[in-house]
Amino acid sequence: MGHSATSAPDTANLSPQKMVAELIQIADYISHVRGEIAALRANEITRDRIPMAHEELGNVLAATAGATNTIMESAEAILALPDDADYRAGVEAQIYTIFEACAFQDITGQRISKVVEALRHLELRLARFATAVRARDDAGLDPAEAARKERAERLILNGPQSKGPATAQDDIDALFA
Amino acid sequence: MALDLSMPILVVDDYQTMVRIIRNLLKQLGFEEVDDASDGTAALAKLKGRKYGLVISDWNMEPMTGYELLRHVRADEGLRTTPFIMVTAESKTENVIAAKKAGVNNYIVKPFNAATLKSKIEAVCGA
Repeated sequence: MGHSATSAPDTANLSPQKMVAELIQIADYISHVRGEIAALRANEITRDRIPMAHEELGNVLAATAGATNTIMESAEAILALPDDADYRAGVEAQIYTIFEACAFQDITGQRISKVVEALRHLELRLARFATAVRARDDAGLDPAEAARKERAERLILNGPQSKGPATAQDDIDALFA
Repeated sequence: MALDLSMPILVVDDYQTMVRIIRNLLKQLGFEEVDDASDGTAALAKLKGRKYGLVISDWNMEPMTGYELLRHVRADEGLRTTPFIMVTAESKTENVIAAKKAGVNNYIVKPFNAATLKSKIEAVCGA
């Protein structure tokens, strides 16, 4: 369409025919945006996909915490075993428990894949919508994000690096030598 | 100077699993008196109520981070000489340098092993 949604035409100098044409263009644009909003399927995202992602990630957290707890309990039990004739049997029993606990990795992997798929859908729909309505982001950050960023900068909260430590332990040790 | 295995150690981390790991490693090293706190605020309260021989702290915690805890400890007349080891996933050089400037005695990057923890404790508390 000729006019963007934000640039109002000078209606005082328009002929009735041009005004009708402008109104038709605006109506077309509104219809187009409504179509894009419908294609976004925002209700489906908020009703199904986001709650599903929350639930799956919650399950992943619970499964990893449960497995970690089981593995640590077994390790602590091994450390506490008396050094007697039953020691090997006791260790083996705990090791089998550890093997069983490690099965969480397969299931959590599948759960995370579902979340990644949901995020991919969300990304595609938002990207299509943003292109269709020529969306532009507001300048600046929202207050909550600005406060989070300020705290992270002030307290040097970089978090874990994606490919291992940014500085090797040996290099850190050299600073303290 | 041998390590004083009877000295109380305060482990500060918001992840109970990590507290448990460090507790077990310390136990393997022979330390029996291990206490814990889930963030800097809780740690500071414990430090003011009891004399600890060593603080082992994570960096990224809420509401008070390990970095803030370190600065509070070093600014407190009664606590400033308490040995302090940072154990953290914050591995950027700026973090290490900031902690060193703030008075940390040693710095361990997660994930770590028992040998690393032992060597740092020995370096800080005297072996």
